[in-house]
Amino acid sequence: MMLSDEPYRWAEAVANRRDYIEDQIRAGSPVVGVGYEDGILLLTLSQNQQKLFEVYDRITLAGIGHSTDIEKLRQAAIDMAHSIGFNYSEDDVTLRQIVYFGLGPAVKAGFDDVVHSPFLARVLLAELDGQEGAQIFYSVDYDGAFHRHEGWAVVGGVVEADVMMGRELSDLDTGALSLSDAAGAALRAWAMGRWVGKLDEVPTDAEQLDQMAGEADVADVLETELKDMEVEAVVLGRSQLGKNKYRNVDAEEIAPALAQFTL
Amino acid sequence: MQSGGDFVDLLRQAGYRFPGENLGDVQSQRDLPFEPTDATTILAFQYADGVLVAGDRRATAGNMVLYDRADKVVDLDAYSVMAISGSPSIAFEIARILEHAFQYYRRRLLQEMSLQAKLRRLSLLIKDNLPLAMQGIGAVIPIFATYDRVDARGKIYFYDALGAQFESADFTTTGSGSPAIRGAMYYLNRWGGRRFVEMDRDAAIGHALQLLDTASEYDSATGRYERSADIFPSVKTITASGLEEIETEALRQLYVQYVDGEEAGRT
Repeated sequence: MMLSDEPYRWAEAVANRRDYIEDQIRAGSPVVGVGYEDGILLLTLSQNQQKLFEVYDRITLAGIGHSTDIEKLRQAAIDMAHSIGFNYSEDDVTLRQIVYFGLGPAVKAGFDDVVHSPFLARVLLAELDGQEGAQIFYSVDYDGAFHRHEGWAVVGGVVEADVMMGRELSDLDTGALSLSDAAGAALRAWAMGRWVGKLDEVPTDAEQLDQMAGEADVADVLETELKDMEVEAVVLGRSQLGKNKYRNVDAEEIAPALAQFTL
Repeated sequence: MQSGGDFVDLLRQAGYRFPGENLGDVQSQRDLPFEPTDATTILAFQYADGVLVAGDRRATAGNMVLYDRADKVVDLDAYSVMAISGSPSIAFEIARILEHAFQYYRRRLLQEMSLQAKLRRLSLLIKDNLPLAMQGIGAVIPIFATYDRVDARGKIYFYDALGAQFESADFTTTGSGSPAIRGAMYYLNRWGGRRFVEMDRDAAIGHALQLLDTASEYDSATGRYERSADIFPSVKTITASGLEEIETEALRQLYVQYVDGEEAGRT
């Protein structure tokens, strides 16, 4: 059966596919990336399962969606980075090529191939002090579309969640924030994204969503979710000794930011 | 099912061949049209805080001095170094593969490679290099030094040209200058008044500088402090807090104290 012979059925198949994927991803835990004075912070809440990953010396990856699909993309990114790093040099490993030539096309091919399962995942990658700038992010959507962001970026379960999370971050001076302030902003954004993702029906009307979001209690969302989830955070910190800038953030470093919400 | 944490596998899939595999059928027994490059004296010993690894900076080809700034003590990760003697080309290739292999394994499999596995990886690469080593042009005889955070102590391993691995209890040295100082190291450690493992950081660095100077006295392929260019031997320490490269100014002070100055010989 050639679906492309029948334009209507092809369009319908793609639309069905989008609905299916969005349904699978919607309730996942969002990921927030935000720059701070020493580099880049990635933060999420997770349930006994690692969601934030090291890719290369100055590159990190996180995702929302099916864990095995995220895993496939993570492995592809790591393979590509290390091949380039060995055969050329560490400086030749850039997030741009990983996204443009690696993850983007791979996810797009998965999405287009309607007889196989697509990648049920949206991923966020961050790069510290690369050729494109100090705090660079790329998000790769489940259909392979990618977007470049500077200073901060998010991936949530639905597009509306991204928009609402972005509102919490867009005014920040990400070059000057302390780690604790960045974590505070990231937690607030995460809770907002989680709140949108958990709505029974996300209003398509922006004004209506805005109005509802104004009444959302971020602290309450966090308090509820922290009952069975934990904050997971990593940084790419330029003051870190050696070539590798990736490190896990300790619970104590997050505690002051968390205290604002859970007192 | 493959776990996918093997960096050499990844390289092979992309068509990479280790130099020893490519040049394995070259027929020669040192009647070469060129003089292969060699790197010389390296040493390592346990001192009070961990391990110290040092090497001179000279690379030679026959009786030519090729380079006086070679760094033969190569970082592999935050807690391990490989010090190289023999063919620098192959040795640097091995170091580069290992550096990537350790990181790749950790990132891919989400766990640190164990010390035993790291030693095994190095051993396998030396074995892969056997064809070149047999022809007398590409032998690599490294020292691997690390701080084992599980056992909370520094560890030193040395290899033979076929890849056999031995753990050194107190000290080791390899390279063309090593015969000149092996006995001196034994003597120092046994009757020198203080064993290496009792020395503090400064004394350990001072003695390493003395030993390399001794090697350069008897081995023309081993360099010493290069006055005209102000180049010191490379000295690194590995302790519980990680790898440290000793800065030039610190080396200069200790060189004056231990090798050149009034304190020399009276430590």
